[in-house]
Amino acid sequence: MTLTLLRRGAAALAFALTLPPGHALAQPATGTGATGTIRGRVVDAASGRPLPETQVLVTGSRLGAASDAGGQFTIVAVPTGARSLTVRRLGYQPVTQPVTVTAGGTATVELRLTVSAVNLSEVVVTGTAAPTEKRRVGTSIASLDSTTIGRAVSVTVDQALQGKVAGAQITQNSGGPGGGGISVRLRGVNSFISGSDPLYIIDGVIIDNGSSQLADLGGRSNPQNRLADLNPSDIDRVEIIRGAAGAALYGSRANNGVVQIFTKKGNVGRPRFGLLTRYSSSELREEQPYNLYPFDVAGLPIARFNYQDDIFRRAPGTEQNLTVDGGNDQTRYYLSGNYSDEQGIIRSTESRRAGARLNLQQQLPRNLLANVTANYVNTRNQFQAFGEQNEYGVMGSLIFAPTSVDFRPTNGIYPLPPSIGTNPLLAIDRIRNPQEIDRFIGSTKLTWTPRTSLLFDYTLGVDNTSFQQDQFVPRNAVIGTAPISTGRSQSAFQGSRVINQDGIASYSWPDIGRFELRSTGGFNYTSQRVRTTNAVANGLAPVGELVSAGSVFAAGQTQVELRTLGFYAQQELAFADRLFLTAALRYDASSTFAPSERWQPFPKFSASYVVFENRAGALNNVRLRSALGWAGSQPGIVNAYSQFVSYAQQPFAGRPGFVNDITFGNPTLRNERAREWEIGTELGLLRGRVGAEVTYYDRTVSDLLFFRPLATSTGFSRQFFPIGTMSNKGLELLLRTTNLDRRNFSWTSTATYSRNRNRVESLSIQDFQSAQDYPNRIRAGEPAGVFYGSYAARNCVTGALLLDSLGRYRRSNQTADMGATLARRQEISGGTCNDSLNAVIGDPNPSWLGSLLNEFTVARKLRVRVLLDGVFGNDVMNLSTRAQNAGIASNSYEYQRELLPYGDPRKLPPGFNARTQGIFEYWVEDGTFVKLRELSGTYTFDAAPVRRVFRDGLDVTVSGRNLAVWTDYSGYDPEINLFGTNAGGLNAGRTTAADRGFDFGGYPIPRVWSVSARFSF
Amino acid sequence: VVGQRALLVLTCGEDIHMRVIRPGTLATTAVAGAALLLGACSLDLQNPNAPTEPQVTTSPDGVIALGTGLQGRFATSYGAFAYMAGLITDEFASGGSAFITISDAEQGSLAQGTGVADAVFNGVYRTVRSADDVLAGADALSGQFDPGTRSGLRALAFALKGESLGEALQSYQQIPIATYNVAAPEYVPRSVALPFVRALLDSANAQIAGTAPSAFFTANILTPGLNLPNTIQLFRARYARLANDHAAALAAANLVARSGPGALSVLTFPAPAVNPYALVSGSTTAIGPRRQWRQSMLPQDQRWTYFVTPSTTAVSRIGAPLDNFSRYANPQAPLPVYFPDEALLIKAEALANLGQLAAAQAALDSVRTDCTGGRGLDDPKACLPALTSQLSQGDLLSEIYTQRRYELYGTGQRWEDARRRNAIRGPAAFPALPSEGQRCWLPYSVGDRNANPNATREVLPDPTEPAAFPSGCPTQ
Repeated sequence: MTLTLLRRGAAALAFALTLPPGHALAQPATGTGATGTIRGRVVDAASGRPLPETQVLVTGSRLGAASDAGGQFTIVAVPTGARSLTVRRLGYQPVTQPVTVTAGGTATVELRLTVSAVNLSEVVVTGTAAPTEKRRVGTSIASLDSTTIGRAVSVTVDQALQGKVAGAQITQNSGGPGGGGISVRLRGVNSFISGSDPLYIIDGVIIDNGSSQLADLGGRSNPQNRLADLNPSDIDRVEIIRGAAGAALYGSRANNGVVQIFTKKGNVGRPRFGLLTRYSSSELREEQPYNLYPFDVAGLPIARFNYQDDIFRRAPGTEQNLTVDGGNDQTRYYLSGNYSDEQGIIRSTESRRAGARLNLQQQLPRNLLANVTANYVNTRNQFQAFGEQNEYGVMGSLIFAPTSVDFRPTNGIYPLPPSIGTNPLLAIDRIRNPQEIDRFIGSTKLTWTPRTSLLFDYTLGVDNTSFQQDQFVPRNAVIGTAPISTGRSQSAFQGSRVINQDGIASYSWPDIGRFELRSTGGFNYTSQRVRTTNAVANGLAPVGELVSAGSVFAAGQTQVELRTLGFYAQQELAFADRLFLTAALRYDASSTFAPSERWQPFPKFSASYVVFENRAGALNNVRLRSALGWAGSQPGIVNAYSQFVSYAQQPFAGRPGFVNDITFGNPTLRNERAREWEIGTELGLLRGRVGAEVTYYDRTVSDLLFFRPLATSTGFSRQFFPIGTMSNKGLELLLRTTNLDRRNFSWTSTATYSRNRNRVESLSIQDFQSAQDYPNRIRAGEPAGVFYGSYAARNCVTGALLLDSLGRYRRSNQTADMGATLARRQEISGGTCNDSLNAVIGDPNPSWLGSLLNEFTVARKLRVRVLLDGVFGNDVMNLSTRAQNAGIASNSYEYQRELLPYGDPRKLPPGFNARTQGIFEYWVEDGTFVKLRELSGTYTFDAAPVRRVFRDGLDVTVSGRNLAVWTDYSGYDPEINLFGTNAGGLNAGRTTAADRGFDFGGYPIPRVWSVSARFSF
Repeated sequence: VVGQRALLVLTCGEDIHMRVIRPGTLATTAVAGAALLLGACSLDLQNPNAPTEPQVTTSPDGVIALGTGLQGRFATSYGAFAYMAGLITDEFASGGSAFITISDAEQGSLAQGTGVADAVFNGVYRTVRSADDVLAGADALSGQFDPGTRSGLRALAFALKGESLGEALQSYQQIPIATYNVAAPEYVPRSVALPFVRALLDSANAQIAGTAPSAFFTANILTPGLNLPNTIQLFRARYARLANDHAAALAAANLVARSGPGALSVLTFPAPAVNPYALVSGSTTAIGPRRQWRQSMLPQDQRWTYFVTPSTTAVSRIGAPLDNFSRYANPQAPLPVYFPDEALLIKAEALANLGQLAAAQAALDSVRTDCTGGRGLDDPKACLPALTSQLSQGDLLSEIYTQRRYELYGTGQRWEDARRRNAIRGPAAFPALPSEGQRCWLPYSVGDRNANPNATREVLPDPTEPAAFPSGCPTQ
């Protein structure tokens, strides 16, 4: 039992937290005396393939190493005698193997691991205060390793996670270069405050994943979130906690879940160079049908143009990654440099990222271990506005531009569209939205283990981002009056800095019989400061793109700081290595909240019972688990000072002035609070060939913060206030199978299924429009963000659509269509079914999410992956086509049908499209889709001549992303979403986390092909 | 261990503490250091972006800035009232495609909760709140202001609060009048609200009569271009007339200067500020003058040149013929708080009602014959001939009404004129064009309905519009 304790306590800690692959700790486990060395190789039992990044541990000591790319490992200074090695790797069954060590000698072993779909010995760190085996944790924690991420061939980490995590809806809101804007919703929508993505932690550093834009690139759109600054190739492992039950230790910010990312560490040995080079090509997946009918409304011939050909392109991309790692007993290092350049499928858009990373680990005397990570990134983007931005946005101008206008420039003059927006070709050629991000993420971590049973850990992390965003719109580029038509130049700067400090102390008590006890305590302090300055000029000179070219100026500056301080304590109890109980309490305070409400406790309880493990027969592993926990969430940067009653600037006639801020402060502001319980099981069947994870959860979030209306006669409008309660209940399923495992062919599958039911349980205010200006709603008794608006009236008896004399729909909330009185409405309807003016007309929340990953290995050399990713039963409101159907645009295929001659069966009655403009039900479409998210084939050239040059051979990969989409949705892509601003940006106050499913001038998500080669020497 | 040192850097916010620690004592020092450090991390942060209530209301500088903010808000609320009244009558229509509700409003139909319907209410009560803040600040800091400055602040607040509430009672059948720090203001009918408004304006008058505003107030607080005494008298005359208190209207109107530098009070909009009409005549709302206003004038009448640029092509979203704004098209054009001839028209009306027809007609002719070079003011100039013979009282009042239509264009006065002359003629659905007023009242503000228990539908039903036209409006 003592051995178990040692192994599971300090050693597991050392490995998971501080000791990545290839390391050997040069510290005798037992006093002085003779020592020897163990050398060996870890291979896959079925294929004989070497297994890198496998943890090898001298059982009952802190000595260990991780295998390198060739599966090799070395452990030095092992005390002589009969020892045993414990070997663990994600996806394999752990193995214990005896070995005899002689003084000064070298013992050689070969360790053969068998694939296992369930591994209860895997060590997790997230949400557990100190590293802990999964078997001890009562919540489900998803973990993904570098292979899963690396093979996704994606630009960003969150893209790489798409389709791989049950319970996570990972949506790419836009298809622009640099990853597009991605939002992650774990177990549904849990807050109305913008900024409801999970808490992201990289190597212990809480990082800023904002998607704020400082210049208007499309209202509330999301061209890029800052996780895009992280190079996916540097990532070793990702752990995801989906809900409050698991995340209680992160206190007042964990309501939306936690994603913890660990980057790679060096391997012991001579310096090893690795190079990954990739070339990619993106293209528009499918053009939309536009109105190309060669006659106008009057039936006269007219020339029409399809501008999609001029706006979209086949766009190349390149990526280079160079890594060097190595080390010795004392020091290990991992160095990487990367450069990527991705062009967008909308001409003139581009994202470039250059970065370098140093991860350093140093063994210090007195059982001290230091880990330092430093990551510098420079991201440079050239974007174009899309979405709601239809003054100078490319997509907005495209969907509003009649196809009868020839936009090609003559004499250097770009014709402007007749009624709204800009010439999209002018936007591409002249309008510029450059941005540059300089970012440093670094951490220093000290681990002190004075005794094997006692551990202290201190982490200091910093994430410093400087974000420079400019915008140039030339004179006379935009329809309309001053100031925009006089040209506009903007230069905005945002400096964001997150500093966090974490301290953990953990003590494993001596065993009491079959009981093990471990106590952990710690603190966390985070300070985030965001400083923004902004300068705008209008009235630009004919030449010059900078603010200094202007004649009318405006400037602004804001500073926001958020501080969070928390303390926590956790007690773990294990019995017979079978039953594990944990109780924990976090006590948390945030500067955002009123002093009287500030300190909040967040308790957590969890239980795990390993019914049996590695048993013979059909059913090999069974574990049952359950957990109950509380977590909170706090307003982001936008509402950081909501507790204060403040005054706003209202300058007048050139003098400074103050007026009461119409948003009244809330001097008793407190955090949102989620309570979640979950219950689940992990099953291993057929000798590790089938593994299943099932989790049911039930979460209730109370004190949801949003704006409650105040009587406007008081001169105020609203107050940030707890307004209601919302629940998410759901089921998550993960199934891993090894379908075939032969020497020359193996086939494995992973399937996920998630189902979430969201419901707004209660509201203390009237139901409200969550995204300003859009027909979606927060209503008690309905899922958050349902579409709510006008519908096409139906005959109450037959259910057939009610049409007017011309065959056009009748709009439910229009007196002209439905009569002025209720009696008249009912007379027209033949019943009471159309009594309400507006109704719930759709739900953007999916019924379920599913994915299927199949991986094939042929002759140990060729690996093929196919990932299908689907969202089912969600509605999308196609406002892009609505805009195209509007009379001023009239460029859609549907509008074309109105122009057809009478007698044509496709002919729509005149005014049909004008009528449907106001009938929002008409624009609701089924957004169900299945995407061929990833398809890749990797061939390893490892013949002797190749290996002479490249030590581990040469991997060549051909891969594709979003190659095919199966959907009935008629727009470019059902996945894109108008709203993506998740915190702190322009217009973030006009949207909520519940606003999903709006397609309005989105940047289409491209199909991407790429070829890459990876080799090391 | 000697010589081996670890460097521990601990930071909290901006403060950086560096400690050099011997490894032997590392653990204790780290724990102590962390504790020390956390103790120093205050969670009580101030908002650097906006001042808090105490910061503003307890300093003279803050209260002075509130005075400027009040005038800024007044410009906004007056603009909202004036263009809404123009839409509801026959002055304006909208060429904007974005907001169908504005096209509905120009046809006399307004759903509750639409932005245009609530803009007047929100604007007015924000102005009122600012005025109350100024009054409270001037009282609380009475020792820190010289008497003339305090008097000016109070007079300004009384005047703008009075006028704003007056605009509210010209838009809504009932309005709240006691709103300062009241969670649920109560609505009162015009019979209560109008005397309250007049009392506020009388307070403003008494304030400056008692203590003249200081030079400091006039130079630093009062917005340049505004003459406070004249404005107060004009407002008093306006609401005396509205109350049919002809003697008081006449007395106040006589106190409004009709020439000289103080005769014209304007709100100014130096860039980047934009005058309210330029703001709503932009692309989305696109409020424009109806062409019928210019075309209904006598051919010699020159007043359109002040307001519009004739157009033969401009139409509203639904097709009503429009002209373009003339001077307000310039975003920096100043906006008169009132047109000086309003005083003459009020005077004429009061005299006519008092039976002094010759004097009334003389005052009216003074408006009709105002022409370039006349009183030297930049205001609308009819350049019409004087009336040739003495009119009867009825004809005189009718002629005054006609002159008000052209002289006071875009000031919102036409709506109440239609109301009091029983000239509400009902909604005019296009292609019909409206004449005079289309509806009596705006629907109550949904913002107040949602949160004020005294404004729920049960307590405060929306007023019913007249069933037959032409009609006056019940004021309860």
